[in-house]
Amino acid sequence: MTVKKVIAENSRNVSITIEGRFDFSLHQQFRETYSSCNDSGTQFLLELSKATYMDSSALGMILLLKDHAEKIGGNVLINRPSEEVNKILEIAQFHRLMTIKV
Amino acid sequence: MTDFRQRLFFIGIGLSLFIGVNALFIQIHLLSVVAAVFVGIVLFLLFRGEQDNLTVDSKTGDGVVDVEIIHHTFLQMNKLISTQMVIIENEIERVSCLVHEAVGGIAGSFKYLQNLSLEQQEMINSIISNKKNTGDSEHTTLESFVHDSSKTLEDFVNVIITTSKKSLETMVYTDEMVKQLDGIFKLLEQVENIASQTNLLALNAAIEAARAGDAGRGFAVVANEVRSLSVNSTGLNNDIRSEISLAQTIIDNLRKSVEHMASADMTSTLKAKDKVSLMVEHVGNVNNETNRVVDELAALGPQIIDTVATGVRSLQFEDLTFQTLASLKDNLAAISSLSQLLTDFDKTNDNCAEQLSNITLQCEKIIEHTQQADESRSVSQTSMEEGEVDLF
Repeated sequence: MTVKKVIAENSRNVSITIEGRFDFSLHQQFRETYSSCNDSGTQFLLELSKATYMDSSALGMILLLKDHAEKIGGNVLINRPSEEVNKILEIAQFHRLMTIKV
Repeated sequence: MTDFRQRLFFIGIGLSLFIGVNALFIQIHLLSVVAAVFVGIVLFLLFRGEQDNLTVDSKTGDGVVDVEIIHHTFLQMNKLISTQMVIIENEIERVSCLVHEAVGGIAGSFKYLQNLSLEQQEMINSIISNKKNTGDSEHTTLESFVHDSSKTLEDFVNVIITTSKKSLETMVYTDEMVKQLDGIFKLLEQVENIASQTNLLALNAAIEAARAGDAGRGFAVVANEVRSLSVNSTGLNNDIRSEISLAQTIIDNLRKSVEHMASADMTSTLKAKDKVSLMVEHVGNVNNETNRVVDELAALGPQIIDTVATGVRSLQFEDLTFQTLASLKDNLAAISSLSQLLTDFDKTNDNCAEQLSNITLQCEKIIEHTQQADESRSVSQTSMEEGEVDLF
């Protein structure tokens, strides 16, 4: 379980990749990836194709990321969630809150 | 009288034959034979005349013997007719009874069937209302229950997520608090440094006071007090440090609690969601199937009632049958009056021809009456389909 962060040159596209279990143990790392990105209109791309598991704290983290993005006038896009993860996102009805590219 | 004449005739013939044969055998004169044959021929001719007279007698009614025969024949005919009529009347009565009983039974059955059908219809209606309503004050149905369950599950998921989010926010505050505590530790270190420096200064002051001798005695007291203050201050610092350490331990516990609160496993929720979805589908299917069957059942009810109505209408055959039997009775009455005519034939009345022609006249009248009755009957109903009268 790792959190990788790639910031594009224009610093408005931040890509966050989660591998393995996405749970509470990542919360500090996860928050640190976005808390310093305060450029307005920043788009956060959350890459979840390699995430194998997700619990409710991960959902909470994504919601906090969304709050942060909205605060700076940006948005969150979840990219290619794995099947397991996508089911959880569906129950949580996250597709109503943000764009999920399957 | 006729017998007597016939006997007389045969006696004559026999006599002339006897005479003729005897004459041949005893060889009487041929003339005698011719005479005997002649007498026979004359008698034969005479008999023929009598025969003709007889025919004429019966026609004119003068023959008393013929009237006797006619009367006898009439009596026999009357007997035959009466016997047949009694049988026919009994049979008609029997048919009437059978038809009446059968119709009563069938009509009863139809009524019972109709009631059963109505009962069935009521049951179906109650099934329909039961299916839609569990009977509670909110009129919960199976569909609404499943829908509510789905909604409850959604709410539950939302609560979990919100809790996680809030817990994570709490974690941010906690982390900040830990940072603050670390800051306090650093400040405490500075305070400790000041205390140790003060202690050192007090020690130096005490040394200097001792070197000054009596003049520095008062200063020595002050230096000593300052030193004890610094020692107290260090003690206080240690107390604060241990208190804050305790606070850090508490914060660690808080962290664990919050982590526990934030991390809910969603697998069971996933399964529950799948089950609810399956249930929604199942309830939908069952509902459709039940609706279809109930609709079919509901449609059967009126069909049964229609069929029963047709059956009841068909029971009009009882009426038609009774009409037919009644007209058969008319016919019997006609035959009976014919029988009466035969009985009324009076053998003592010499005017046989008149009586016979009277009978003929009466017969014609009866025939005419019967024909009229038959015509009026054919005007009346001949088919049950023509009559749409409901008997019940």
